[in-house]
Amino acid sequence: MLSTLELSPQTLDAEAPVRIAVKNLDFYYGEHKALKNINLDFRDRHVTALIGPSGCGKSTLLRIFNRIYSLYPEQRAEGQILLDGRNVISNDVDVNELRSRVGMVFQKPTPFPMSIYDNVAFGIRLYEKPPKSELDDRVEGALRRSALWDEVKDKLKSSGMGLSGGQQQRLCIARTIAQKPEVILFDEPTSALDPISTGKIEDLLEQLKTDFTIVIVTHNMQQAARISQYTAFMYLGEVIEFAPTNTIFMNPGKKQTQDYVTGRFG
Amino acid sequence: MTAATDMTSIPSSGPVVVRKTPKATFDLVFRNASFGAALLVLLLLAGIMVSMIIGGWPAFREFGLGFITSSVWDTQNDQYGAWPAIVGTLSTALIALIIGVPLSLGIAVYLTQLAPPWFKKPVATAVELLAAVPSIIYGMWGLFVFAPLFAQYVQIPLSSIVEGMPVLGTVLYSRSPSGLGIFTAGIILAFMIVPFIASITRDMLEQIPSVLRESAYGIGATTWEVVRHVLVPQAGVSIIGAIMLGLGRALGETMAVTFVVGNANRLSSSILDPGSTIASRIANEFNEAMGLQLSSLIALGCILFFVTFVVLVIARFLVSRVERY
Repeated sequence: MLSTLELSPQTLDAEAPVRIAVKNLDFYYGEHKALKNINLDFRDRHVTALIGPSGCGKSTLLRIFNRIYSLYPEQRAEGQILLDGRNVISNDVDVNELRSRVGMVFQKPTPFPMSIYDNVAFGIRLYEKPPKSELDDRVEGALRRSALWDEVKDKLKSSGMGLSGGQQQRLCIARTIAQKPEVILFDEPTSALDPISTGKIEDLLEQLKTDFTIVIVTHNMQQAARISQYTAFMYLGEVIEFAPTNTIFMNPGKKQTQDYVTGRFG
Repeated sequence: MTAATDMTSIPSSGPVVVRKTPKATFDLVFRNASFGAALLVLLLLAGIMVSMIIGGWPAFREFGLGFITSSVWDTQNDQYGAWPAIVGTLSTALIALIIGVPLSLGIAVYLTQLAPPWFKKPVATAVELLAAVPSIIYGMWGLFVFAPLFAQYVQIPLSSIVEGMPVLGTVLYSRSPSGLGIFTAGIILAFMIVPFIASITRDMLEQIPSVLRESAYGIGATTWEVVRHVLVPQAGVSIIGAIMLGLGRALGETMAVTFVVGNANRLSSSILDPGSTIASRIANEFNEAMGLQLSSLIALGCILFFVTFVVLVIARFLVSRVERY
């Protein structure tokens, strides 16, 4: 089973600075404690994958980084998530500004009901007022980086809803990177896509990590092995093991991790 | 039955399945009955239209196009014109929309996006209950409670402020501050259409997948930006539909408007003065009308029908424009 996994060829940079530090983090849905004492370090310009069976809390954890959970009053987090030394879950953080620095791509493509151009420009316009020519350049650059430019350059004014699922997801990635965030969160970004579109998104992730710190939640262990440098295995709201991806898949330290990555449970 | 028991080619391992023969006659009756139901709608509509046109024909023949543009409504000399009622209908409905639509959208947005659960339930229930209040209750409340208050606290002070001003002095000045008038009718109509627009809009906003809303918040948009640029355009077609439904009700509402509109036959340039709408005029005069007056009332009904139809066509046009996104 292990031999069938293609592990990511690139080596990781153990000296890379920690971009996000999670310290003693607990999370509650009302009375239910969904995350228990999470401690993790996410390194700058690396891809860190969060894996684990359904309900283990990996998406919950991801949704804390950009405070999207704050939309729901019954959910709360305790502890620290330090982004460049600032605790993002403290009350005095401007969540809108935080979200412009910590972008998120969701399970399902979510194009906004506006043109392709406006979809990408929307996030830029929220926080900057660039002149038209610069805005055009930023939009084009983001669409090129998300490998969508050639497919949409002749129909920038048409609706984003008219694209295929894979194109829509790349549009959402373009929208996110156009804002020049520091961190991008991916919540199972390929779970609704066909294999070819999935391959394109994975290629994209590979390139994006040269500029962005990436955290990705995935159900697909092969995907985690292919694209990430670090992997955290979570189970029942706890981090069981966190290590370089090669270690997690080739030489896991815990029996539970081994059972999961070899497909014995999950 | 014989066919089922004579099967020899297929080896059967269990008891033989006996299938009922489909009842072809019943299905035929069912299909025709549903076709008849659909046809009935067309016949009804055509029937109403034809009888309205026949009933109103004497008035149209007598006055021609002048029936629409004339402002005279004189029962002594048998001279009738629809213009004040048409203007009254359109202006009360317009006032109702101007007041009611922002209110409804605000309620819907608050209930779906911001309200804490303990507050959401009572407000949502109150909105539904408002929709169930019979229009005569709105009319009575408007006449006995709202109109006197409106006269005392809005009409009289406002008139003394705007008196003598160039445009406002005409549009907002009330000669007889009774509280009854076009504007009061518009306000009451706004109360009546808010529950419809608000509850439909709320349902539409609730049907938007939460992941779309989260991704709009997720790129750092504020609540206003999420609502304005993502949620409302996403629900756009349905919201326009909801507004048009409200407009339809506002145009045709009879009882409540008849109570508070003041029922003046002349056309005033002030929105605070009494006026009348097509529906209120018909309701007021139908009992005693005969001859040409009756024809004129039916002709008014024809015009209301036509106006509502035009509104519907415009709505469809708007909807088809929005649907492209």
